[in-house]
Amino acid sequence: VGAARGAPLNHALCHDCHLLCRLPEGAHEGECPRCGAALHQRKPRSLERTWAWLIAAALCYLPANLLPIMKVTSLGRAQADTIMSGVVYLLLHGMWPLAVVVFTASVFVPLLKLAILFGLLVSVHRSSRWRPVDRTRLYRITEAIGRWSMVDIFVVTILVALVHLGNLATVEAQTGAVFFGAVVVLTMLAAESFDPRLIWDRCEERPT
Amino acid sequence: MSSDEPHARDEVAEAVVTSRRRPSIVWLIPLVAAVVGAFVAWRTYSDLGPEITISFESAEGIEAGKTPIKYKDVQVGMVEEIGLKDDLTGVVCTARMTKDFEPYLVKGTRFWVARARVAGGQVSGLGTIFSGAYLGVDPVREAGAKTKRKFKGLETPPIVTRDQPGKHFVLHSYRAGNVEVGTPVYFRKIRVGEVVSSELDESGEFVTVQIFVHAPNDQRVSRATRFWNASGVQVEVGAGGVNVNVESLTSLLIGGIAFEKPPGSFGPPAENGALFTLYENHDATRREIYTQKATYVAYFDQSVRGLESGAPVEFRGIQIGEVSDVKLEYRPDSGEFVIPVLIEIEPERIANLGMVDPATRREGLDLLVKRGLRAQLQSGNLLTGQLIVQLDFHKGAKPAEIVWSEPYPELPTVPAPLEEITGSVQRLVKRLETLPLDEVVGSMNEALQAARDALAQGQKTLATASALVGPDSPANSELRRALVEMSDAARSVGLAADQIQQQPDSLLFGKEQKQ
Repeated sequence: VGAARGAPLNHALCHDCHLLCRLPEGAHEGECPRCGAALHQRKPRSLERTWAWLIAAALCYLPANLLPIMKVTSLGRAQADTIMSGVVYLLLHGMWPLAVVVFTASVFVPLLKLAILFGLLVSVHRSSRWRPVDRTRLYRITEAIGRWSMVDIFVVTILVALVHLGNLATVEAQTGAVFFGAVVVLTMLAAESFDPRLIWDRCEERPT
Repeated sequence: MSSDEPHARDEVAEAVVTSRRRPSIVWLIPLVAAVVGAFVAWRTYSDLGPEITISFESAEGIEAGKTPIKYKDVQVGMVEEIGLKDDLTGVVCTARMTKDFEPYLVKGTRFWVARARVAGGQVSGLGTIFSGAYLGVDPVREAGAKTKRKFKGLETPPIVTRDQPGKHFVLHSYRAGNVEVGTPVYFRKIRVGEVVSSELDESGEFVTVQIFVHAPNDQRVSRATRFWNASGVQVEVGAGGVNVNVESLTSLLIGGIAFEKPPGSFGPPAENGALFTLYENHDATRREIYTQKATYVAYFDQSVRGLESGAPVEFRGIQIGEVSDVKLEYRPDSGEFVIPVLIEIEPERIANLGMVDPATRREGLDLLVKRGLRAQLQSGNLLTGQLIVQLDFHKGAKPAEIVWSEPYPELPTVPAPLEEITGSVQRLVKRLETLPLDEVVGSMNEALQAARDALAQGQKTLATASALVGPDSPANSELRRALVEMSDAARSVGLAADQIQQQPDSLLFGKEQKQ
């Protein structure tokens, strides 16, 4: 739109000392001549890294939902719950607002993040020019809600620490919780490594 | 701006370019995630045991995903699904067993729902009130048993599981009595086992009772062991009086089976699954010990009131058999009524008797009857008026012979003692009737006259005697005087004796004169 941008001018800003550097012709990366920090016009290997984190997150998403995340032993009766079985339990006992919260935070949001990142990556690869503003907004949402998915892990952690009543009731964390935590962390890393500027780069490459 | 900052002059600094081309290390993350994920998936899958179905009449207490299957309180599986049978006659539970339990999912393995219940005088499964019901399992540990995946669950927990040491025995009986599953089995009034099942056999004629005797008491059961129904109170009123027998308070309420080894019998312990007869009561076991029975008939021509079948047959007070039947028989040819009493004699009750061999028995009996062996009715119990049959030698009995008739040989009888007395009195009266009373009275008169004369003579003699010794008679006064003089003389002798004792010299010098 005529605005001055760093990439066509081959300029890059050092992240450490904030020195504006001009990159040599054809180069996208370099080192800051003043402080020696790595310079790059775009996040380096953004797509590759995002893909890696995203695939790792997707791989962890399956066991996170299939394996039980928590085992409650009450009066000699053990019950292991997966996330979905917990949601169903809440729903069956009339606590549907809570069920909605748990479902949104623990099942829907992680899945949504994975889907958004996947969509963004694909759109960048295909050099899509479709609604770059909306796509950027989606990315911002992904980044913002990432941390809220940790609610489940916090609940499990608190319960495990608090409920140690011997035979009366005991709560134990199960493998599912580990995978669920991994999903949250990996999607956050994936969102972090994605460079939204790529969305705009491609939008302008085509006409030129 | 200083000179050592050339980029400041150019406004934009020249970046140093280094080429660096190798795959990003970030790819290790999805790799690790994939490996871990694959490992977890493999673990989960390989830990997945076999899936089995168990059918029950009702799913009371069973919850899908919550009811565990336990063996010795260790979880070996979990009910995952509960569904109805197609014909709605029951429920089918789908359960996932653990992998290490797989070898025991074979034919014969039993499942049941363990709940709190009261059976066989025992309370079990109280823990399930809090923890909820679970499925119990009794696995078969035989190698090579047929693998099975569909089981029919038991509606009640088995009384005996296979891990309990002991032996099963099968008892046959005409009636089940008070015997149910869980009924205790006693040995010397100590509980040593339980009834496992009680059902009719195929023909419907017998009740087959399966019992389990726990180790080590199962070694006490040998082939000779006798089992009897020890249910409730056993009251017997017999010739020996009233006999009340109770095995235990528990058996009074829920029945029981007792066993004992007959005295004197020994043998190796019975094998598992051995067949026995279940007797109706303790006495029946003793009766049945005498396998040989010789039946005789004895005809009595008097009242047999008080004689019942089952009354003892005794020889000198020792029971050697019993009365098996009492009938009334009319003999048209003689117009008489006779009472044939069938008696069963158990020769084995008599030690060292050659009678056990039927061939020699006949001769022996002939000899005994010749020596006076007779059957006789006797009062067994004065209180109840029961009669018994007594066999004994009667020396003065009329000679008789045993009649070897069919179907039973006939023993000669002698009348009962009461009848004997009556008979003697009658004979006495008859004798009295034939006595010559007139002669007796005549001779008695003569005797009386003679006696009267003798008395008169005696009177005279007495009168003479009294005249001789009467108070006024001269003989009397003479006698009195003589007595007085005799006493004087005695006194003088006494004085003289004293004098001599004090002064022995007075014998020579005379009495010393006092100064």
